[in-house]
Amino acid sequence: MSENADSMQTRHFLLRRLHSLTGIVPIGVFLIVHLTTNSTIAWGGLNTRAQSEGFGWMDRAIATFQHEVEFINNMPLLLLIEITLWAALGFHSVLGVYYAISGKSNTGAYKYSSNFRYALQRITGYFGIFFIFYHVATLRWGWTWLVPGGTKWSHEAASSTFAAAIQGSTDGFTPVGFLVACFYFLGVSALVFHFANGLWTAAITWGITISRPAQKRWGVICAGLGAGLMLMAWMSVIGFATLDYEQASRVEQILHGEQIHLNDEPN
Amino acid sequence: MSEAEAYSYDAEMRKANRAKAVAGRSVIFKIKRCDGPGKPARWESFKVPIEEGANVISSLNWIAANPVTIEGKKTTPVVWESNCLEEVCGACTMVINGRVRQSCSCLINEYAPCEGDVMTLEPMSKFPVIRDLWVDRARLFNNLTRVKAWVPIDGTYNMGPGPKESHDHQQMRYALSECMSCGCCLDACPQFIKEEDESKWDSSFIGAHAISQARYFNEHETGKQLKADRMDALSGAGGINDCGNAQNCVKVCPKGIPLTESIGAIGRSATIHAIKQFFQGKK
Amino acid sequence: MADEKRVIVVGGGLAGLAATIRIAEAGMPVDLFSMVPVKRSHSVCAQGGINACNDVARQQGYSEYQHFDETLIGGDFLNDQHPVLEMTNWAPKIIDLLDRMGVPFNRSNEGFRDLRLFGGSLFKRTHFSGATTGQQLLYALDEQTRRFAAEGKVNKKEFWEFLWPIVEGEGENARCVGIVAQDMRTMQIQSFRADAVVMATGGCGLVFGKSTNSIICTGGAASRCYQAGAWYGNAEMIQVHPTAIPGADKCRLMSESARGEGGRVWVPAKKGDTRKPKDIPENERYYILEERYPKYGNLVPRDIATREIFDVCVNEGMGINGSNQVYLDLTHMDPDYLTEKLGGILDIYEKFVGDDPRFTPMRIFPAVHYSMGGLWTTYTPGNYQPESPVSSFKPGDPIPIGNEPGHGLDIGAHNNAMTNITGLYAFGEVNFAYHGATRLGANALLSCIFDGVCNGISVVNFVREGDQQPVSELDQALFDAATKQEQDKHDKLLDSTSTGTGDQQLNPYQIAFELGEEMNAASTVVKTGAGLEKCLIKLEELKERYAKVELGDGAMWTNQSLSFTRAVGDMIIIGEAIAKAGLLREESRGSHYRTDFPERDDDRFWKTSVAKFNKETGKSDIEFVDVKAGLVKLRPRDYGKTESNASSASKEPIGAS
Repeated sequence: MSENADSMQTRHFLLRRLHSLTGIVPIGVFLIVHLTTNSTIAWGGLNTRAQSEGFGWMDRAIATFQHEVEFINNMPLLLLIEITLWAALGFHSVLGVYYAISGKSNTGAYKYSSNFRYALQRITGYFGIFFIFYHVATLRWGWTWLVPGGTKWSHEAASSTFAAAIQGSTDGFTPVGFLVACFYFLGVSALVFHFANGLWTAAITWGITISRPAQKRWGVICAGLGAGLMLMAWMSVIGFATLDYEQASRVEQILHGEQIHLNDEPN
Repeated sequence: MSEAEAYSYDAEMRKANRAKAVAGRSVIFKIKRCDGPGKPARWESFKVPIEEGANVISSLNWIAANPVTIEGKKTTPVVWESNCLEEVCGACTMVINGRVRQSCSCLINEYAPCEGDVMTLEPMSKFPVIRDLWVDRARLFNNLTRVKAWVPIDGTYNMGPGPKESHDHQQMRYALSECMSCGCCLDACPQFIKEEDESKWDSSFIGAHAISQARYFNEHETGKQLKADRMDALSGAGGINDCGNAQNCVKVCPKGIPLTESIGAIGRSATIHAIKQFFQGKK
Repeated sequence: MADEKRVIVVGGGLAGLAATIRIAEAGMPVDLFSMVPVKRSHSVCAQGGINACNDVARQQGYSEYQHFDETLIGGDFLNDQHPVLEMTNWAPKIIDLLDRMGVPFNRSNEGFRDLRLFGGSLFKRTHFSGATTGQQLLYALDEQTRRFAAEGKVNKKEFWEFLWPIVEGEGENARCVGIVAQDMRTMQIQSFRADAVVMATGGCGLVFGKSTNSIICTGGAASRCYQAGAWYGNAEMIQVHPTAIPGADKCRLMSESARGEGGRVWVPAKKGDTRKPKDIPENERYYILEERYPKYGNLVPRDIATREIFDVCVNEGMGINGSNQVYLDLTHMDPDYLTEKLGGILDIYEKFVGDDPRFTPMRIFPAVHYSMGGLWTTYTPGNYQPESPVSSFKPGDPIPIGNEPGHGLDIGAHNNAMTNITGLYAFGEVNFAYHGATRLGANALLSCIFDGVCNGISVVNFVREGDQQPVSELDQALFDAATKQEQDKHDKLLDSTSTGTGDQQLNPYQIAFELGEEMNAASTVVKTGAGLEKCLIKLEELKERYAKVELGDGAMWTNQSLSFTRAVGDMIIIGEAIAKAGLLREESRGSHYRTDFPERDDDRFWKTSVAKFNKETGKSDIEFVDVKAGLVKLRPRDYGKTESNASSASKEPIGAS
């Protein structure tokens, strides 16, 4: 084999495996963290430390979420983390699209579940890229012209501004807002599937699961993880889609005003 | 549908069809025909009387002896590749009712039990058509050369027995050795794309067939000597990493070869090979 | 260093590939012609195994010599003896070679090669790889060939059909210097030069219509050599396999290994018993072979099993529900054991019939399987030349000759496995040499590979050392004339499309069908003089019709009909040689059973029938020449038929005679 072909082959292998790896670390790990954080809007009421005068279940949830957002925002080397994530995401997306267009799905003729998953992995990939772009552009880069109602998300008022963005106004659902909520619902579902299924195939790619029973067992684990993540994802979307802007705004003001320190021991 | 479900569903359906098959019926064969490379494809239908035990081969034989379409137009006998008619040579593979399989083992009773039922025959979709149902599978054999699918023996002189092998290991290898290079796994694979340009074959996806054969030879005591070469080929473009894990291959394999296990095993070998290359490789 | 001399091998089955490997290994370039990708050759259909003496059998009293002896008695002493001795002596080494090539032979618990029983022997001497041994062996050779092809030493020409041997000179001076072949896709006809040509083109089952053979086994290539002047030996010796699955397009083989592993052949004892097989109690079943041959039971040689099954069905009308079928029963065995040892063939049965043979007895009937006859070949005997032939041999007797190479054949002699045409060799099934009047099960794979690896040396020596003129120096006119001859035949067939009358009598498929029906009826299990005479008249009629045959496809591209039609004419000619030799052999021997001459007649017919094609009359002239014996003396062949043998209860194997 010539030197050139040799390095081509090494590069090919490296790119392929990096593609697989980046899907899990850091992207997959980030997805888990992100969904865990966001889903606090649904279960943060359990957090008794987020307590203040007159706080109910929902108030505590809003407070918890707000705290998590601020915690992340204050992390050291946040920029480094972000750059890593951007790089990984960009790499995974560009290569993913390139790989996906090289295949030709045939679920019409071969109606096997694994074949549907193959097709779905690619569809969710395309859709996921689109969704992430929208998600980031509207919330992170402040492309408010893409947001119905034009609400600009801010990390100081994470719950309320996001609720407004996903509902289409600060005053409950608008028709376009409903579409955005649905879009979010589909987007997060797609990404969770993409991750869980990708985790399953990665184990074959890397040669971790070989025998059919092993692949099946690992499949159950991936499905379980996927189901858990899916639950969190849906809880997040539904949580924010049904969140009352006024209430969230009020809690956020209280938090900023009263300087509640959630890390302190509860009284 | 899962693999086991698909299999039992298929078996149940075929059994039920066999039970209700009508004696003395005729079946319509809708055949995709093409006179040669670059010529347009066309469909022709034939009404074929079904005798006991008829399969696609005997029906095509009948058409060869009576080449008249259902409209009464005289045509030429259909061209197709076949040889053993026992599903061990792999020659007579074609797409029947939308699915790739061998035509010899395709019993009409199991697929078209009633008068006027239609059987659709098409050439394999991933290989260039030579004529009618006959396709050129040279790429498939080329892929075996790509992975050096042989045991590098010194020669044919008498040098005693080969390496000893355990019973279980032989059983594992035997399962892989039954591959007849029919190409079903490739035709059903969404990652294996038709490629007529021969110069691109070596960088296009190699498919489950050759991956499994590479494993077969890697598992042999002497065959192992070429493992590094095989893994080099399989780590590059068109190698193991191009697999998309749709796992159609294992479901359409007429010999029930554990192809997805081979893909996993070669994936592991590729991982180890890469690590070894990184830390020990001279190149 | 450049070796300009080339060898052509025609046929990519076991014999052709073994020859290719051997010749390429010696550094001689090989052009390998095959009608199909070599991996799809008919050898894949072989199921049961490959015979060879082995360490276990040796310690039980078996030897290569006894394998030799068994093969001769199996063949009813019609085999030329020296090549058989050499072959059986090579057998264990051939197994070792295949083992080294990676063939997944079944293994014992300790990891040694497992063995099974097979017909014609009381010793386990058959090596196997599941029930797809032929497939595994062919693949191993295919892989080695692929390796040589990758190194540029072998030029594979797949989808090329052999049309004619190019022969220079006449009679004794005839020499083969190349072939004419046609690309089956582009239809291009071309001549190729070669310093030697090896025919490894297999059998001629399609002459009999439905057989266990693959659809390329027309015998067309052998017939073309025959018409070009090569002699054809023992044409009448056609093996009918006792157990096949009758089908609409072919009869699928049910391996002898099914019986080797314990399968039992039976019919309901009461004629017309319509109960399901499972409902018929043990004592109401008639175990045909076990009752008629208590010593060998279900493992009598194939011709005997076939005749008994045929007798029970056709003469006594005791077939299942009055049909021509008997049960082959494995249901008393452990299903898992069966899956491991016989999975391949049981799956075939299940796929094509729909019943699982692990739980339902299979329904089988004999079908044409193998041609012992083939192109006549000669050899130079080896150094074992006993003063008088050995008259009897039993296990435990001192072995008359050891297993070293060179006892049977003078290895590397130029004429080993060479036809009467210099430079034209015949290997494998198309070589008449090894199997006499019946081939023992699991000897076919052996003879194919033996021809390749042993007689391949002769080809190399002939090309390298022979004093003949190098083919590269011959005048091109000879080759052009041969190409033209074939092109004219081809064009004439093509022309018949446009000038046709549409007469169904002139349809090639109809002619082939009638040929098969006639040959099957007259010249298989049971033959009579009257039947064979009638058959010859029918063949004459078919020949006349064939002269006016009308092709259904006039395409200039990938015309399969043309290829088939061309072969039909050649099949009629081989069919005529088979029937005529059968008519003239007025005795019964091995597979050849004449009701009008039911006994073996050694005085008149311990002779090889040699058919020579008469170019004037277009017919076969048959001569009978002495069998080349001298190593083993004739003795009767009875396999301990019922009343005569009482030792069948003995547990330890006690030998074949």
